[in-house]
Amino acid sequence: MNPAWVIALPAVGALVVLGLGTRAATGWVGAAFGLVTWLAGLWVALPYVGSAESERHVLGEMATGVAPIEVALTVDGLAALLVLLATTVAFLVLLYSVSYLRDEPRRATYTALVLLFTTAMATVVLADDLFVLLVGWEVMGACSYFLIGHYWERPDARAGAVKAFLLTRLGDIGFLFGIFVLGTATGSWSIGAANESAASGAMSTSQATVAMLLVLCGVVGKSAQFPLHTWLPDAMPGPTPISALIHAATMVAAGVYLVARLDDVMAASPVARSVLAVIAAVTMLGAALFAVAQDDLKRVLAWSTVSQLAYMFAALAVGGYAAGVYHLLSHGAFKALLFLAAGSVAHAIGTTAMTEMGGLRRALPVTFWTMTVGFAALAGLPPVVGFFSKDAVLGVVSEEAFQHASWQGWLLLVSGLLTVVVTAAYSIRAWLLVFCGEARGARPQHEAPWSMRAPLVLLALASLAGGVLVLTPDLVDPLGRTEGELVHPVLAAVTTVVLLVTLLLTYAEWWRVDGLDPAERFGPTRRLLHRELGFDRAYDLGIALPTWALARTVVATDRDVVEPYVRGAGTGARWLGLGLRWLQRGNVQVYVTAVVAGGLLLGLGAGWLVP
Amino acid sequence: MLLLFPLVVSALLFSIGVYGVLARRNAVLVLMGVELMLNAVNLNLVAFDTYLRDVVHSGQVLTLFVIAVAAAELGLGLAIVLMIFRSHQHIDIDRLRELSDSDAADEAIARDHQIWTGVAGGER
Amino acid sequence: MSAVEVLFALLGLVAVGSALLVVTTARLVHAALWLVVTLGALAGCYLLLAAEFVAWVQVLIYVGAVVVLLLFALMLTRAPTAAEAGTVTANRPLAAGLAVLVAAALVSSLVAGFRDVRIDLDDSVVGSAETTGEALFTSWVLPFEVLSVLLLAALVGAIVLSRSTRGGGR
Repeated sequence: MNPAWVIALPAVGALVVLGLGTRAATGWVGAAFGLVTWLAGLWVALPYVGSAESERHVLGEMATGVAPIEVALTVDGLAALLVLLATTVAFLVLLYSVSYLRDEPRRATYTALVLLFTTAMATVVLADDLFVLLVGWEVMGACSYFLIGHYWERPDARAGAVKAFLLTRLGDIGFLFGIFVLGTATGSWSIGAANESAASGAMSTSQATVAMLLVLCGVVGKSAQFPLHTWLPDAMPGPTPISALIHAATMVAAGVYLVARLDDVMAASPVARSVLAVIAAVTMLGAALFAVAQDDLKRVLAWSTVSQLAYMFAALAVGGYAAGVYHLLSHGAFKALLFLAAGSVAHAIGTTAMTEMGGLRRALPVTFWTMTVGFAALAGLPPVVGFFSKDAVLGVVSEEAFQHASWQGWLLLVSGLLTVVVTAAYSIRAWLLVFCGEARGARPQHEAPWSMRAPLVLLALASLAGGVLVLTPDLVDPLGRTEGELVHPVLAAVTTVVLLVTLLLTYAEWWRVDGLDPAERFGPTRRLLHRELGFDRAYDLGIALPTWALARTVVATDRDVVEPYVRGAGTGARWLGLGLRWLQRGNVQVYVTAVVAGGLLLGLGAGWLVP
Repeated sequence: MLLLFPLVVSALLFSIGVYGVLARRNAVLVLMGVELMLNAVNLNLVAFDTYLRDVVHSGQVLTLFVIAVAAAELGLGLAIVLMIFRSHQHIDIDRLRELSDSDAADEAIARDHQIWTGVAGGER
Repeated sequence: MSAVEVLFALLGLVAVGSALLVVTTARLVHAALWLVVTLGALAGCYLLLAAEFVAWVQVLIYVGAVVVLLLFALMLTRAPTAAEAGTVTANRPLAAGLAVLVAAALVSSLVAGFRDVRIDLDDSVVGSAETTGEALFTSWVLPFEVLSVLLLAALVGAIVLSRSTRGGGR
């Protein structure tokens, strides 16, 4: 089956859903299209999962001034996995949204945008040509803008949407030029050609470095890594299923996918890898620390996403392709689970503020158990999938540190281990605040309907069972890009001990403060972390305010320098008109006087000139 | 006889006619100023006709034509003066200002425009 | 200075003087009467310049018809409210200045151009009715006919204009 079906089906679905409008069936039709897309994705992807084969479909070709743009799709092992992840999560999100947005007047556009989002992600994943990938990449950006701003009545939603759009777009400028560099270096826009060229050494190190540094700009923007990390937490005013879609399987995953896709080019440039390592080290710890101090459940999850994405980049930065992709899949499952569970909580009590929650364990049993699995995966508790994938990442990082003794490896290892501690702390803090202790605010009325519970259970099962993937490393790395095992028993034991100690300490602190927020222990530091170290303020001061000042200067210049000329022309014409009008007084005698005087002047002049 | 004699008389008459046209208030008196100017021209024509000894007497014939044209002009001019008198009850040149560019005139134009087209005139 | 010159100078003075009175007198009818004097003096000038026929036409048409027309107009348009004294507009100083300038310009250029030119009147062709008529009906017959059409048009125009239109053309 042609992989284009995976792209076309949700796009058709989007049009159909838009045509349906606000009918009751809209959500179900959207979910049906999600199911069809998922089946198509299965059909397309399953033969290639864990297979070293790949298949290329050329749909058309566009001539350009240089190399032609081939509208080509490729299915290989990596693309197959991502297609499965994206279509599965998209289907579950669509199913979940049926009930979640039952009373939402704009659910037609919402559902259509989710489907279009799926189309775009499938395009990114399946694209063989860099420009085709860019199209999907940008469509995804536009969809995320609309979906984050879904509740556009709310100012924070509008601001978050604009911020997400601007920051990702800022990175995409670099990405576009990265594509140009890759294209000129290889004479083709094909991703496969770029990888081959880099692997065979045809592409010079400097070309690879320039190209990857530029591509990394786009990746950093899309995946919300430092220093463009601030948009993702502010994207939280969007509907919660959208957060699940963006954080788990599509938008932010696209950045990781792109780096994994261009792994050979990446490998050709040590500088780009070092930059990526530094970005990952800074982001993973910083984002985790920010997550500790947040009061909003979704915001905690958003920062955890940023932190977990940095894990993936850490693995990719030291050549741990299999670990990176594995963590991408694992994170896709449990982060979708966490967000959908958070949506379930929000659906039940009408808020996402953790200060309003507490003691929800009994009222929402399904949500409680599934979300517990999610948090366990996030923290990395055995035997949930997060444990194995995080262990794989830390393992490849530690190998780099111990065996190659590189500073990148040590930086990432220290940062990664610290992040394990912080991640455990914020996971159990959120878990305790939401589900344990006394109810502090709103009381839940009801558990979610089955269409919302089913995705939760399915994702929880996937998170629980996902660990078995570790036994078949060929599944995530069929081409054998990375040597070594995915399991590292010693490291796993150490991290598990550290993890358990952290969990116990946090629990003890929570017990000590009588079920209040254990993060209060941080004291004044907490406020600093809550403000996320003032990055937004710094961006405001450094970029936004000067831009405003410049704009005001331009306005003032226009008003005080340019406009006087325009107005002067008008005023001058007006005065001239008044003068001419004063002459047109209707007194014929005056006119004749003027005529005689003019004639006299002409006569005298003629006499003067012609003697 | 010096040619200058008739010429100077003609020039003075013309200037006096100019003054009459420019300074007089009564429209009929203005027309008298015009007649003075025409006569000044006639005197010029006759003088040069005689001086040049024109065989076909173009100067004198033209003088006759001017007299005829002046009569026609005066007939029409006085008819117009009569009409003005009928509509205004006066023929004072400096009080006939209907052609002036004024706000009242603009409003009258806008009103006419509205009458003819049924559309309100342009906003001011 | 010959007798003709003296005579011409006197007639010219009369013409100019009475013309001045035409444009300055405050009485409307007096202005018309002074115009008669001016036109008559001009007719005398024409006679001295050997333009006999023109002189009689001047007397007949101007002094006879035109002035009568003007007098009728003056009488018909005697405004009941118009002040008799206010016969001059505010434009008068400008008009006077311009007139003086025009006179100065014309006289000075004429004097510069024709200082010593003389008209030989001794054996001049007398502009009698015969000679003028011959010229008129041989060389100038076409313009003459055109002029007659012009007069007809002016006649019709004057009638149309001065007819009372109140009553919608009944």
